[in-house]
Amino acid sequence: MVSSALVLALVERVASVAQGATVTVPLHGDEPDHVRGLVSAWCARSGNELVDVRDQAVTVRRGRSPDPFAALAPDRVPGARLWLYTNFDCNLACDYCCVSSSPRAPRRALGLDRVRRLAAEAADAGVSELLLTGGEPFLLPDIDALVAACTAMLPTTLLTNGMLFTGRRLERLRGLDRSRLTLQISLDSATAEVHDRHRGRGSWARAVAGIGTAQAEGFRVRVAATLPAAQAPEIAPFHAFLDTLDIAAEDQVIRALARRGVADHGIELTVESLIPEVTVTADGVYWHPVSADHDDQLVTRDLFPLQVAITEIRRRFAEHRKRADTAAQWFPCA
Amino acid sequence: MGKPLMVGAVAYTPNVVTIWEGIREYFGDGPADTDFVLFSNYGRQVDALLEGTIDVAWNTNLAWVRTVLQTDGACRALAMRDTDTAFQTMFVTQSGASLGGLESLKGKRLALGSKDSAQAAILPVEFLRRAGVDLDDVSLVRIDSDVGKHGDTGRSELDALRAVLDDRADAAAIGITTWEAIGRDELMPGAFEVFWESPAYCHCNFTALPALTHDRAQPWVDKLLAMDWDNPAHRPILEMEGLRRWVLPQLDGYASLFEAVKEQGIAARW
Repeated sequence: MVSSALVLALVERVASVAQGATVTVPLHGDEPDHVRGLVSAWCARSGNELVDVRDQAVTVRRGRSPDPFAALAPDRVPGARLWLYTNFDCNLACDYCCVSSSPRAPRRALGLDRVRRLAAEAADAGVSELLLTGGEPFLLPDIDALVAACTAMLPTTLLTNGMLFTGRRLERLRGLDRSRLTLQISLDSATAEVHDRHRGRGSWARAVAGIGTAQAEGFRVRVAATLPAAQAPEIAPFHAFLDTLDIAAEDQVIRALARRGVADHGIELTVESLIPEVTVTADGVYWHPVSADHDDQLVTRDLFPLQVAITEIRRRFAEHRKRADTAAQWFPCA
Repeated sequence: MGKPLMVGAVAYTPNVVTIWEGIREYFGDGPADTDFVLFSNYGRQVDALLEGTIDVAWNTNLAWVRTVLQTDGACRALAMRDTDTAFQTMFVTQSGASLGGLESLKGKRLALGSKDSAQAAILPVEFLRRAGVDLDDVSLVRIDSDVGKHGDTGRSELDALRAVLDDRADAAAIGITTWEAIGRDELMPGAFEVFWESPAYCHCNFTALPALTHDRAQPWVDKLLAMDWDNPAHRPILEMEGLRRWVLPQLDGYASLFEAVKEQGIAARW
């Protein structure tokens, strides 16, 4: 009888609100799993949506919430891009590194076998772009094989500090597929001072030289800067400098500084505030590359099957969006 | 651009605003520009139709009958939902209550919805009369919880079902839409069962007076009937309004209500 009364209450309450609004109906000792099953079934029949069952109440939205993915650009839909942390060690020790990479950081390499399998599963899972990052990927002796495994399956971007394009590493670079690979080189400023302050003396000049080497080798080069808010005035001169390097406007990327890893300031990023970009490390699958060294954004320790992790991230993202919409309904401004 | 065709509807739920703003937008690209006026009850809406404030009224079956009676038949129905052509009243009791047919209500308590609800009050009484059940033999529990909206909110029907659950009534008469809304007898096995269902009858229609010329009405009807369930832009409106397609009216389906209104002495105006 309690279930009957609950359904009658839902029919009445939902009919009294506008499309998209939510109603919360108190429960009276009903077993939550039973309620969830009953209300889910009722919603499926009636075209409404179960939002939540908790704290002795059930919340239902009239109609169905908008597709949380519809508002995103296709290349930003969770699962469209797959980040792979090839390794965590680095020849630099940047003072804002979001994953605390440095020459002393353990390598924690994904390895060729896993990268090959991930690239293949990514293609099957509908991923449209692979992004390799670290650490510094060019520290790996098999970076050319790793990249080839990726470019064989999907268009790929390789993030690097651009400082190691000499000797055997340059030979490895030369062997990569220019038609399928973009090199994203980190450069923070138009002059050495700011860049070197965070990344180490002499690093700016070597990065600029690396950009030139990559371009000379025929690669598309994207330049990405990490800028704290206080350095906003330096953005315009930076773009002007990149123009002189023949970096296309769409390949000039400015990133905010996140308070993650060894960064002691920057914007706070949570799973609720971040649109996820599926990120795989040797240790698990994470919500976003900026948090790939933080358990608060660990999704699963299981790298395979990749599709399961992607599906779970998409499910959680949709759930966060629906909760946010519901909260907006609960807390109007006036 | 000429004056838009004005349609009246009763605001029985906030969704009515969404529905009619959607319909207005649908008609916005011609050739039958449309706007709408919302009323708090069907009495005021029919008054507005008769006074010429609106060109078309989105009427319940009782509002249609009352418009016909007030105009001596000088009104016409333009269209209705497919679901309006096969409306039904369901007589419901608790599962296992061993009621069978309307005759089994003798000596029982029957909960009815709002007195101006055709499906939950007026027609149920008519069906009892047609079945030869003397109303003196049935204890009617009238629940007038949404008078004025002709049962559109469904609230009085839900209250009638609650009366059955609480043993304040042995049975309830509700519309097919409420029966569907609670998941029929499939969602809550052991709660309710139908022991008699009525023949199909008609529910709502778009009602117009002769003042609305054929030249103005026909493009509007043509455009209305062109709404397409498979068109993503049209679908949400059709879903919210509870239909898959608009159809031309089937006036035979109002005969039982005309008879009920006459038998029960229900006033043509209120």
